[in-house]
Amino acid sequence: MVSAKTVIQAPTGLHARPAGELVALVKSFEGSSVKLTAGGRPVNAASMLSVLSLGLKCGAEVEISVDGGREDEALAAVKSFLESLAG
Amino acid sequence: MKCTGPAFLWNRTASDVAVRSFDEAFGLVRAELALASGSGDAAEVFSAHLEMLEDPMLREAVDSELAAGKQPLEAVDAACSCICAMFADIDDEYLRARVDDVRDVFARLREAMCGESAVREIPAGSVIVSTELLPSDTARIDFSSISGILCARGSVTSHVCIIAHAHGVPIRVGADISGIREGDIVEVDDPLVGGTANVVAQVRAAGRRVYANAGSVEEVRAAIAAGADGIGLFRTEFLFIGRECMPSEDEQRALYREALGACGGKPLTIRLLDIGGDKSLPYLPVPAEDNPFLGLRGIRFLLAHPELAETQLRAIAAAACEVRDAHPDWFAFGTPVRVMLPMVCTVDEVRRVRSMLAGVAGETCPVEVGIMVETPAAVLCAQELAAECDFFSIGTNDLTQYVMAADRGNASVGSLYDAQSPAVRRAVALTVAAAHSAVRPSSPVSAARPSGIPVGICGELASDPSATSWLLASGLDSFSLSRL
Repeated sequence: MVSAKTVIQAPTGLHARPAGELVALVKSFEGSSVKLTAGGRPVNAASMLSVLSLGLKCGAEVEISVDGGREDEALAAVKSFLESLAG
Repeated sequence: MKCTGPAFLWNRTASDVAVRSFDEAFGLVRAELALASGSGDAAEVFSAHLEMLEDPMLREAVDSELAAGKQPLEAVDAACSCICAMFADIDDEYLRARVDDVRDVFARLREAMCGESAVREIPAGSVIVSTELLPSDTARIDFSSISGILCARGSVTSHVCIIAHAHGVPIRVGADISGIREGDIVEVDDPLVGGTANVVAQVRAAGRRVYANAGSVEEVRAAIAAGADGIGLFRTEFLFIGRECMPSEDEQRALYREALGACGGKPLTIRLLDIGGDKSLPYLPVPAEDNPFLGLRGIRFLLAHPELAETQLRAIAAAACEVRDAHPDWFAFGTPVRVMLPMVCTVDEVRRVRSMLAGVAGETCPVEVGIMVETPAAVLCAQELAAECDFFSIGTNDLTQYVMAADRGNASVGSLYDAQSPAVRRAVALTVAAAHSAVRPSSPVSAARPSGIPVGICGELASDPSATSWLLASGLDSFSLSRL
């Protein structure tokens, strides 16, 4: 398993549209289980409901962890997606 | 109009005996949603529900309740409350609204587990009694066979009301439904249904025009047959939703041509596609917005997708030219073809559509261009807008919501959402005054009108008999009714 931390920079946080894009991105890495952890709660990043339930706002710290499949690639992709969010 | 009938309880006390496993129910509901999301009015609602159903979180929540030793139905209820609670805590109105979708999906699962078919037979002549009817519920009701509807929640412009009124079915929202049992004879009193005969008579007696709202060619035909002086609002969304790709110019042209033919020379007011924000098209994804009613919708959406607007304008112009060639007499006193822009806020929006129209169809295309007056900005700049438009039509449903800053679907601000409040009355008066005093540079199409443009109304308010007197007194030239 690999993991990394990042901070949500987008002024509007991770709302419905980017959450949907994130879920699509995560699903494209078949065989990898991706989790996001915020506020001590880990959730399945392939679930739109779970991701939205984190209510990630601007400035929130998130830990991404990937298990199985193309771990490093998936981790880098999710991290750069979250960091590239402009709002 | 009043109606009575035996009560049919929509949210009947749910059975507590599961006859199917969660997995079986899941498969059934998935198949049902997949089918329903393919086409029809509520296709987008169902496809959102399908996505919700297939979300891993839903299954995980149910599995963890089952693993904790709960009975299947208890597990489903607990999982639903658990997910809803998670969203209720989020400080975001839009996301909290997704809770309704979650509840809807769980309700379907529960029904399927209890062996009730998702569509319970509604005996003909029933009055449906429900706390609330969501768009997905509405899609399952055969309005031609029921007498009326009583709802505890909702407002007169909620989806179910508009659909019920379009079918002439009396509906009462904000009703006290406690104590009503299945089969009780209940009464629904709805002044907006059946009362339109009086509205029509009053409007005609005052020498104003009676138009109709229509959402399909069949409705245009029915309205003209019922004696309408024209169509004051022809919604074009039906052409665009429930399909995988944009309708072609030819397909649109044929349909506008048919609708113009059905009008037989009477005005047909074609509203350009009015979507965005909360309503999206599979082939033109709209970014999710925190506040769709203040977002990219109506004319804003069209200007952001010029290819869409241009195709629609080109199809309308082509249909207009064909009709003019076939029936020059219909154009003797001006053109019956009117294009109406939704959600206009600025003069620039009108100019951009006009130049788009001139670009695709030339300056002499026999089409009038007007706007829906439904934003406070349009009311406040009505004078400037009137100088650029051939007509106005006041859309009181959205206008009320924007003027009163009250969501029309939110029952807790339902008393503020009042289309007859002083603020809305003043907005109507300002708009009429601006329209009638407009000074227009003469245009080739409407040279016959040196000054002043006609102004009508096309919201639900137009059909409300309790508003007819003051609407007539305000000077409106036409009333476009949802049903004649």
